[in-house]
Amino acid sequence: MNTAWDVSLLFRRYLTQLLRNPVWVIVGFSTPILYLALFTPLLRHLAGSGGLPTGNVLDLFLPGILSLLAFASGIGPGFSTIFELKAGVIERFRVTPASRFAILIGPILASMLMMLVFDAVVVAVGAGFGFSVHWAGLAVLAVLAGLLMVTVAAWSIATALVTKEISGFAAIANGLNLPVLLLAGVLLPISLGPAWMHVLAHVNPLYYLVQASRVLAGGTLSGTAVWQAFAVLVPLCALVLTWATRVLRTAVA
Amino acid sequence: MTAVENVISTRDLRKSFPAKDAGRKSSGARNGPAQKDPERKGRGQKDPERKGPDGQKESRRSGGGRVEAVRGVSIDVRRGEVFGFLGPNGAGKTTTLRMLTTLLPIGSGTATVAGFDVARQPKQVRQRIGYVSQLGGADELATGRENLILQGRLYGASLAEVAPRATELAGLLDLSEFAGRRVSTYSGGQRRRLDIALGMMHQPQVLFLDEPTTGLDPQSRANLWDHIRALRERGTTVFLTTHYLDEADVLCDRLMIMDHGQIVAQGTPRALKQQVAGDAIVISLRPGEHGTENAVPVLAGQPYVRELAASDGQVRLYVDDGGTALPQLIRVLDAGGIGIRSISMSEPTLDDVFLRQTGRSLREGAGDDGTAGSEAKEVAA
Repeated sequence: MNTAWDVSLLFRRYLTQLLRNPVWVIVGFSTPILYLALFTPLLRHLAGSGGLPTGNVLDLFLPGILSLLAFASGIGPGFSTIFELKAGVIERFRVTPASRFAILIGPILASMLMMLVFDAVVVAVGAGFGFSVHWAGLAVLAVLAGLLMVTVAAWSIATALVTKEISGFAAIANGLNLPVLLLAGVLLPISLGPAWMHVLAHVNPLYYLVQASRVLAGGTLSGTAVWQAFAVLVPLCALVLTWATRVLRTAVA
Repeated sequence: MTAVENVISTRDLRKSFPAKDAGRKSSGARNGPAQKDPERKGRGQKDPERKGPDGQKESRRSGGGRVEAVRGVSIDVRRGEVFGFLGPNGAGKTTTLRMLTTLLPIGSGTATVAGFDVARQPKQVRQRIGYVSQLGGADELATGRENLILQGRLYGASLAEVAPRATELAGLLDLSEFAGRRVSTYSGGQRRRLDIALGMMHQPQVLFLDEPTTGLDPQSRANLWDHIRALRERGTTVFLTTHYLDEADVLCDRLMIMDHGQIVAQGTPRALKQQVAGDAIVISLRPGEHGTENAVPVLAGQPYVRELAASDGQVRLYVDDGGTALPQLIRVLDAGGIGIRSISMSEPTLDDVFLRQTGRSLREGAGDDGTAGSEAKEVAA
């Protein structure tokens, strides 16, 4: 049995499930637009004051939204894993000869495709409001965002398999949400905070994506932040995928 | 390789869980055989140990902070039979099933399924078995047919191979009419039949069904039984768990009765019932005359009474020959001045087998037949 076959089957299945869920589609599309619509007017007044650089705030803020989307898209599969665990879907797949890695990565890749679609929407809308588009930079950013999304998704799926209950999983996911977002400088730059925040930010994978995203969105492809992001996210992604596949193999689900 | 006459074969299969894990699930785990713990029976269905569909929920607490859910199960299931695993909720049925289907690592012992070692060749085993869990697991947002097609393709078959098979199975399990509708619109019975069809897509040698009829109305249950029999006629070995006595009785060629992780009896339903010799007689006594206390010594003193169990106002006993025993029983009770309200005789059921082996009734907490439960309590006392 070949893994690519299993991946393609499970990828298509999950994508179909997502698209047939109208609530998910509406919320999925509206959230990034809402971020743009509600935050941009606020930031516009901050520009030039405080710690924020002057210039087009969207150029600063939009890469952060893309990073945020990568993180949020990774948490979603954890929630559906809990649901599928309760519905017996995971067990049904685990008893087939399908590759365990495929059972894990199929849904992740489907979610990633949706994330890229949302990213495109955000960029298109942002461009309409004056965001300067640098295609090459955005392409590299998409790769990095994909890496982070896969990492977070694999982590959330494995955590869901271990906790088994929505209450336990939601507590962990929500508990991590705020510190991870704040310590990444998504909405407000870390440079506004004290030194200990800088230190903590450096153990936060999302921080590296956010840093790289600002450089890349500006059109610079080879900044230090970009190399740092790859150096952190590639091994981390591999590590988390290995762990999550292991959990899926042995999960007492 | 021999033609694997035994499709499933296990030797001394065991599984334990860390106590803290199992503790969360099985607060009721206790030591000692059931007969020695009468208090626990009195709690009947409120006992947390009896809750939940999961086989890991109940078990024995052993040394080293672990709880043994399955304690030495050795079985042989022959090709083409319907083999039943009967026991109360939490007896270890599901845990055993999950080990045999590669979902749960084997604790110790060996298991061979469809000619392959479950621990060392899980992939080969998976290719040859079908498994329908209590939860089912069909995608609600997909149609029945889409579910079947995906399932077949996960076993490596092409769309062209899978499509006719989906049509065939839909016909076989009476799903054709609504195969094109989303699963979320299905009734309980329809969904169950789809679950079974999913398990059959790749023509497995053996189909595992975990509590296939739980939660179905009587009509759907009978209908499902017909379908399971039809599968057997087409050569599929069916291994099912159930806590329904009638289901085990009418459906299974052979069965195993499990309690607290161990096999307590094994054989054909007929042979098992014959172990409980003769006939079962239930005597209801007239209320308010110390009936039970007076009747028990009198009845127990009769040489032809093999076994006896009593509860409030009711005595259940086993005799070799009901026809000759009945008049004598009435005579001795009458002579003792004990009033009889009603008396009935029946052939032993599988519940009598279970009661005899474990000192408890499987019907315990069933609600519609509460007498059996209190009866068991008295036996234990």
